[in-house]
Amino acid sequence: MAHDMANSMAYRLAEDVQVRQEAWGLLFYRQAEHKVFFIRSGEWLYPEHFDGTWTLENIIEDIARRTGALVDNIETALPKLTERLTANRMLL
Amino acid sequence: MKYADWPLSAPVNITWEITHQCNLHCIHCLSASSKASPGELTFEECKQTVDELARLKVFEINFGGGEPLLKEYFLPLLRYIHTKGIVTCVSTNGTVLTKEAVALFTGNRLVNIQVSLDGATAEVNDRIRGEGTFRNIISGIELLSRKNIPLSVNTVVTSQNFSQLNELKDLAKKYGARLRVSRFRPSGRARQSWDALRLNPAQLKEIAAWLESDLSILTGDSFFSISQDGRRKMGLDMCGACKLTCCIDPVGNVYPCAFLQDEPFYGGNLRENSFKKIWDSAPSFLRLRSLEPKACRACPRFESCRGGCPAVAYFLTKDLDAADPECLVNWIREVP
Repeated sequence: MAHDMANSMAYRLAEDVQVRQEAWGLLFYRQAEHKVFFIRSGEWLYPEHFDGTWTLENIIEDIARRTGALVDNIETALPKLTERLTANRMLL
Repeated sequence: MKYADWPLSAPVNITWEITHQCNLHCIHCLSASSKASPGELTFEECKQTVDELARLKVFEINFGGGEPLLKEYFLPLLRYIHTKGIVTCVSTNGTVLTKEAVALFTGNRLVNIQVSLDGATAEVNDRIRGEGTFRNIISGIELLSRKNIPLSVNTVVTSQNFSQLNELKDLAKKYGARLRVSRFRPSGRARQSWDALRLNPAQLKEIAAWLESDLSILTGDSFFSISQDGRRKMGLDMCGACKLTCCIDPVGNVYPCAFLQDEPFYGGNLRENSFKKIWDSAPSFLRLRSLEPKACRACPRFESCRGGCPAVAYFLTKDLDAADPECLVNWIREVP
């Protein structure tokens, strides 16, 4: 049940956070502290994945379709990236 | 490997000196400001630059000068920048605030204001910023205070005001502001006042300990070369010139940072080249991005600071391979 709920939750940037694409992944900026944070997500993630309309499941499907990466590998690696973002208050 | 070693597609933030005009004549001014320079960028040229910075997703523009509020189109330019969602920080001397400016700043989530003050008393401040300035700056801070404006008081730490840092923190707090301290560097007019105003090794040790003990003090990347490890973990622990930031001057010249506005570091001019082209390919930027001062490479702390502030090393020695003379390793040997 918890797993299903996690999959159905959309990812959204925290209110004062902006994000942009870099060659190696995503660069986040939190305005309140003028701080930056990054994840080395390569070509997996786009800024649009955090606009509140993509669930984890959607993102996994999107990555697999675009990159050919195995779903199992994505399912293992991706939550670690998003958990870091949440822990650092880049995501709601 | 620090992420900033990878080339970023654009800076995280820009320092933009919008004019050289200033109504004050501070003895340590990094821009040696006084009159506007001939050929300062027009409003249209500034908007074109903002358009490009927005396309590149630069997150923040930090305005200084001179005194930004003396630029006739400054407030309309801020409004334009805010339509692009770019965060702005305005560094002002606090003496020329208008009702219109305060109204624009009030409750604006894209504005941070930094007022420069170099002493907790008129006796100390006015020695640096000029006779009567303390009173006028405090009046400016009062106009901004408690109006839902993220406000900081910025002090360039010198031998003159070193003993008043805690008083300055209390003064800032009284007005609902935070204290931000900047490192005194021998750029601009400060080259003439360097010997008189620089901190001695014992003072450097004391300020390093003070910053370590009070993480509420803002520093930007100013003190990374003397920072103890606790503060380094807060980030901004290395020189960000050409990696995280760069500087645009009033006539559109682009430099690695505000403290490196000198011929050897000139990157290009926005009237001749796009900002992106300068950022990606200016020879001076490429050189600075790969800088590893020879004097520092064997140092056990090299991986922590990567050679300190090149501006201080360069303006004192004219040698980018020289160590930052105020780095923690250098002065710690001189202080018991």
